[in-house]
Amino acid sequence: MRAGKIASLCLVLIVAAVGAVLSLLATSLPWLASMHPVLRLCLTFLGLATVSAAILLPLGTTLDRTVARLRSYIEATGTERRTATFWGPKWARPITRALIGAVEQFRQREQMLTNELREVQIRHRVSEAERRQIESVLHVLRDAVLVTNAFGDIVIVNEAAGRILGFDHTQALHQPLEQFVDDECLCQLINETAETANFADRRHVEHEISVPDGQGDKEQTLLFLVTLACLENHKREVGGVVTILHDLTRVREISQMKTDFVSKASHELRTPLSSIRAYVEMLVDGEATDEESRQEFYRIIQNETERLGRLIDNMLNISRIEAGIVQIERENVDIKHLITRAIDTLEPEASQKQITLNSKMAEVDLSVEGDCDMLFQVVLNLVSNAVKYTPAGGRVTVAADSDNLTRSVVVSVSDTGLGIPPDAIGKIFDKFYRVENYKRVAKGTGLGLSLCKHIVETLHHGQVGVESKLGMGSKFWVTIPMRYAGSQAA
Amino acid sequence: MAGRILVVDDEAHILHVLSLKLRNAGYEVVTAVDGEEGFELACEKLPDLIITDLQMPYMTGLELCRMLAADEETAHIPVLILTARGYALDEEDLKIGNIREVLSKPFSPRRVVQMVRESLAAEADRVRTDESKPEAA
Repeated sequence: MRAGKIASLCLVLIVAAVGAVLSLLATSLPWLASMHPVLRLCLTFLGLATVSAAILLPLGTTLDRTVARLRSYIEATGTERRTATFWGPKWARPITRALIGAVEQFRQREQMLTNELREVQIRHRVSEAERRQIESVLHVLRDAVLVTNAFGDIVIVNEAAGRILGFDHTQALHQPLEQFVDDECLCQLINETAETANFADRRHVEHEISVPDGQGDKEQTLLFLVTLACLENHKREVGGVVTILHDLTRVREISQMKTDFVSKASHELRTPLSSIRAYVEMLVDGEATDEESRQEFYRIIQNETERLGRLIDNMLNISRIEAGIVQIERENVDIKHLITRAIDTLEPEASQKQITLNSKMAEVDLSVEGDCDMLFQVVLNLVSNAVKYTPAGGRVTVAADSDNLTRSVVVSVSDTGLGIPPDAIGKIFDKFYRVENYKRVAKGTGLGLSLCKHIVETLHHGQVGVESKLGMGSKFWVTIPMRYAGSQAA
Repeated sequence: MAGRILVVDDEAHILHVLSLKLRNAGYEVVTAVDGEEGFELACEKLPDLIITDLQMPYMTGLELCRMLAADEETAHIPVLILTARGYALDEEDLKIGNIREVLSKPFSPRRVVQMVRESLAAEADRVRTDESKPEAA
């Protein structure tokens, strides 16, 4: 290897020397002075070319080999590169070292950028997934969520917001708020919140909005709790406003129903209590002068005490059934007997109003497996309602038969009363509900039918229903399975 | 006769016990089971005082008071309200007609008679004062 290198060096030196000699001869020898100038110039050029070739050829070969090694180094990876050593002629090593350093830096930079790119891609995918998740959550919410940016454009909006405020939420993104929200008061609230730049506090405002009721072109006015919060951007300036609309209508209705119930219940409880107190005081004051009057007073006090007890039982039963803590005693109950008992109980009230109260019971066994007291309560409530809402001179009929197909007993109570308005039919079994126009006709707590439904459906797995025509009377019916199918008490 | 009292209540027991107490106290008693009947009897019998329940079918006690106040013949009759929903009455309600007192149920018949006596006495004083005014003038 070394001998080869020396030979190559000698060859280069010889060629260079020949070239140099030729050049010198062409310029300095006198006997060549007479030579044609063009020929002499050619000879000089030949000499210089030979010298240049002798120097540049090995230099080119060395550079070519260096570049090839450099390329293979760049293309090498991992262990190969780590084990690579510096090479080439000594004079070229500073250059290759500098080049390798530059390549190494470039490679590190490239690796860093690749890593960063990968990380950005992962973050992007995660953030996309999170965005989709948040959007799904927003769309599931019943509350309307609307976020506007500092320029008043909608940047986040959910389906509920579109539904409540009457626009297509998919079209509203990045559009001006006023273009889609046709509620001046709400827009003003949002703009005011942005102007206040108060990032610490949320603003709560009750606001009514007319919303399509989903049945034709009708609109209903709903009450919303509007929560407004100012968003802060990275420069600590107003970045936008988040607006949430929470429907308070149902909460208010329930609250009103509860208030009404307490008021009605209080009235209903006070009425028998008034009689009891008044008659007791009359007895104490000696106002009943004869034994017959005293006996009458005692009887009234007893009846009113029982009435009070029944009322309290009704209220408690409904609460217990709803809470699922009622243990019922199942036994064989003769429905015919219950109907007879109910009619006997309400006959005086019916007679007072000249209402004919009769029964039509099939000549078959009408026994069911159930709680005797609870089922009596159902029949009594239905017949009592029929008597209450039937004008004087009317007729109430209690019918009972068996349905062999469903293996149940069907009891119906028909009257020639006021009937139920069509819009009230769906709510008639709701707790506390009373037909508005009939509140003046008769007193009640709005609990009786709700209790019937609970007893029949929840505790006996039967069904309740009503058919009615306004002004023509109503027919309430219940079906009770003859045999209890459940494995445990409700 | 100490005076004629009209008692209006849809609860038969309340009507019975009040009638008995007032009759024993020497009053003539007329009874009605709802506001409509109460107004008809008030116009017909022109009682010295009316005791009425507040919540009744067909016509409430307050509606009865409005009707009485609107009729010249009955506007002067003092009214005692018996109610199981005392808190449902506000200041504006109490300004209707000639409402003198509101008694909450459960009530004492003894107290009712005492209030009837006071109200009738006050009414008699008012009439005497009104009659003496033109003479003084």
